[in-house]
Amino acid sequence: MEKQAFSPRIIAFCCNWCSYAGADLAGVSRMQMPPDFHIIRVMCSARVAPEWIIKALSSGTDGVMVLGCHIGDCHYISGNHRAAKRLALLNEMLAFVGIHPDRLLVDWVSASEGSKFQTLVTGFVQRVRELGPMEISGQEPMIKYQVAD
Amino acid sequence: MGIQEDQIREVQEIAGRLLLDKQVAAVVGLFSNHGHVGPHLFSSVDDLPGLALEPRYPLALDCRTLLSNFPKDRLGVVVRGCDERALIEMAKLQQVDMERLVFIGVACSDDQARQCACEKPYPRQIDVGEKVDGLSPLDDKKVQELIEQDMDARLVFWQQEFSRCIKCYGCRNACPVCICDECLLEETCWVEGGQIPPHTSFHLIRTFHIADKCVGCGACEAACPMEIPLTILNKLMREKLKELFHYEPGMEVSQRSPLITTLEEAPIRGL
Repeated sequence: MEKQAFSPRIIAFCCNWCSYAGADLAGVSRMQMPPDFHIIRVMCSARVAPEWIIKALSSGTDGVMVLGCHIGDCHYISGNHRAAKRLALLNEMLAFVGIHPDRLLVDWVSASEGSKFQTLVTGFVQRVRELGPMEISGQEPMIKYQVAD
Repeated sequence: MGIQEDQIREVQEIAGRLLLDKQVAAVVGLFSNHGHVGPHLFSSVDDLPGLALEPRYPLALDCRTLLSNFPKDRLGVVVRGCDERALIEMAKLQQVDMERLVFIGVACSDDQARQCACEKPYPRQIDVGEKVDGLSPLDDKKVQELIEQDMDARLVFWQQEFSRCIKCYGCRNACPVCICDECLLEETCWVEGGQIPPHTSFHLIRTFHIADKCVGCGACEAACPMEIPLTILNKLMREKLKELFHYEPGMEVSQRSPLITTLEEAPIRGL
């Protein structure tokens, strides 16, 4: 019961050319979606640096979605190829340090796929709810010191 | 002991020949001074009697410094497998000029290979020593144990390990493939200033940044004053690179990292 009440914080990185338009379409078509995600528009899915995801997950975000154009449709020709490979490897690293790989989702949504966006978001939010809150940030620093500017 | 002395003699001969024939201006290697072994630039054959091979000391970073200090000269280098792979990765990143390096390849002894849990304890061309088989990262007991644990236990393990970190940046400074002029880990945007230990993300960012370049030389772990088992993470990343992209860092200068090519050039396998 308690886990059902948990409302996760999810960041969705959407590429400017396809996924953001797809998300827009889903919104304009008034599709029902859980309100737990925040969209950050990036120019390309390849712009999503691994440290962004690491930082997000280690500072209170429960799940990260990276959405780009379909393979072959990238506005920059091969940006999503890089994103796909880089994030596949990142996912393996996260799994090895004990962060569930399902907390990172990489998928492709075109500008006309509003309903795919809805399905993805709904499914992802559901999955992250099951996983529960992300608990990595619990560590209190032992020493704090003043940094000179 | 006898074997090692023979090997030292062989390296001395090769290095002496390179120096006398003026094929190289100097040779980079290890020098033993009253039992203290450290890197040394052998610019004449007179120094060669002091040449040493053990204990292991990574030379790749020194080579880069020396090559930039002597922009016209060729240098000989006494390389182990890890040194050679590191130099190849550095050449891919335009840090060293392979044309100006002459390798004297030394295969590591069985003891050394075991101590480092090295996957490939030998260079491409072995001039001195006998090739011994490397160990797969999965042979490592710690790696095995970790893989068998569940997610939460792994997270606890790593958070405990990383909680010892004193953010000395030793791992980054010792790494032959950490070459950025402006390091992300010095930006307060990614790593909070003024606190120890740094957040777990410090190590995750570092590990991922070198994931496609790490040659497994273990310099990071050797440099760590808090004995954080950094190589375990890197080992697993190298395994995954092999599994997903059939790619190994440090093999050929012409091979490009799969993370910067398209899916046609290097597809993701096993997904």
